[in-house]
Amino acid sequence: MAALRLKLRAKPPCLIDASPLVPDALAGKSRAELDRIQLQGWNQTFALGDLFRVSGEDARELVLDGLDGSLVRVGASMQSGTLTIVGHTGDYAGESLRGGTLTVRGHAGDYLGAGMRAGSITVSGDAGAFAGSARAGHTKGMTGGTILVHGNAGDRAGDRMRRGLLMIEGNAGLYCASRMLAGTIAVLGQVGTHAGYLMRRGTLILNDATSQPLPTFNLNGQPELLAIRLLVAWLVRRNPAFRPLTQARFTRWLGDLGAEGKGEMLIVSPTL
Amino acid sequence: MSALSIDGVAIEDTFAEAFDMRATRLIVTAADRTWVRHAALSATGFATSVIACGCEAGIECELSRRETPDGRPGVAILIFAMSGKDLQKQLERRAGQCVLTCPTTAAYNGIAREAAREWLNLGASLRYFGDGYQISKLIDGTRYWRIPVMEGEFVCEEKVGLVKSIGGGNFLILARDQGAAVAAAERAVQNMRKVRNIILPFPGGVVRSGSKVGSKYKTLMASTNDAYCPTLVGVTRSSLPAGVGCVLEIVIDGLDADSIGRAMREGIRAACARGSERGVLAITAGNYGGKLGPHHFHLRQVIA
Repeated sequence: MAALRLKLRAKPPCLIDASPLVPDALAGKSRAELDRIQLQGWNQTFALGDLFRVSGEDARELVLDGLDGSLVRVGASMQSGTLTIVGHTGDYAGESLRGGTLTVRGHAGDYLGAGMRAGSITVSGDAGAFAGSARAGHTKGMTGGTILVHGNAGDRAGDRMRRGLLMIEGNAGLYCASRMLAGTIAVLGQVGTHAGYLMRRGTLILNDATSQPLPTFNLNGQPELLAIRLLVAWLVRRNPAFRPLTQARFTRWLGDLGAEGKGEMLIVSPTL
Repeated sequence: MSALSIDGVAIEDTFAEAFDMRATRLIVTAADRTWVRHAALSATGFATSVIACGCEAGIECELSRRETPDGRPGVAILIFAMSGKDLQKQLERRAGQCVLTCPTTAAYNGIAREAAREWLNLGASLRYFGDGYQISKLIDGTRYWRIPVMEGEFVCEEKVGLVKSIGGGNFLILARDQGAAVAAAERAVQNMRKVRNIILPFPGGVVRSGSKVGSKYKTLMASTNDAYCPTLVGVTRSSLPAGVGCVLEIVIDGLDADSIGRAMREGIRAACARGSERGVLAITAGNYGGKLGPHHFHLRQVIA
């Protein structure tokens, strides 16, 4: 059975909430039922059939094709199955994700995976600000699952993150891991200033040897910790691009002492 | 029914009686083989019999770097107890006093997730040693605890699985003299150690003081198996054939009946190899008339 494919006919006139377009919700629906699904836009609703050309049958492997960033909350609260986006998503892609696999073959907007609980998100391009962070008005960021951004991530990546793994293959913006509660963030590229600002617990792994921790982090030395080996092996299993970290020696900083101070920042030590 | 024998050694047509236990497998790793053995020997020490040790434990096998979660040399330890509560207590004590204390070690769950009937606290209990500085990390769906110690960090999994298991599989080697019995037992143990899912909890895998249930003394729940004591021939109702001067027993605890049966077969065959010329006279097994344990390992079937 071929994957159910929804191809965007033309650029929508406004932002549209695409959260109903998840495998769990579309499974078992006939073509006519699919066409009648209502999607909320700005002050108006759209029928799915008017916006998308539908092909294929298997909703467990759903593909949204030709997206241009005007669809927000793509894959929000998805529970199972796979959702592949060809193109760019708007903000809040994978918000409150509970399971399944969301793949974005393009760029993602702000708040990627905000408040997600489980499952995995992969973005081949860049992600906007607040990836893996808390939804607006909430106190905890992602509480489980994995986000992998092959490109760059914007500011505040992992803000208030509570649990899970956020991997950024490119660069991260300002305030990466700010107010982090727990979990693991790894950045293979460069990282902006104020990384770990007010982080309470959790682990921030930085491959950028030039990173300067905030003055509220204390140097812990270069301990050879088994936990680092386990963490790095995990990163490599999720994305082989992180393999260089297996040979690295890390300098460990503890902080942020302006908050609970139980977080750790592992910065790759410069090679001599 | 025909008389059983292997290489001229008589195999008594009887059965070993075993009972239900609870068990867990702990994977211990360390920087090198020396330290992993120190930890494993310490953690499985004084664990020959639940009668007085609280549990029965032993090293199941050594693990290569490819077989351990952290890519370091390791061993698999099996611990058996009569209940989940006893097992929890012994696990905490042994991991806390013998593995956590041993330089460079780490401890992991060795029971497959789908096989575990219940979960025992490992890091979930030991973490308090960190006095608030302990760190929890969720890696690939498994929660680990990082406990700061003077040497660095002790890493262990939060939980280990509990499985139903069987304790008390056994067979007895009846030999002409002590030398013949010890040599046969050593051959048996060497072969049995190759079987996975089992341990031989007694020193060197062999017990010389097989016991019967009860005693003339009210405070003792077990006492010497006088029917098999060569020095009591003539004063007790002896079960020893003429010419037997020494008896040794091999006790097997295992995660499943198949593994225990396989280990018994390997052990009996090795003990009996060229047995008649080496002074091995007979093989038998210990049972309580079938009333105590639900698992019966009939020697006739085991050696078939």
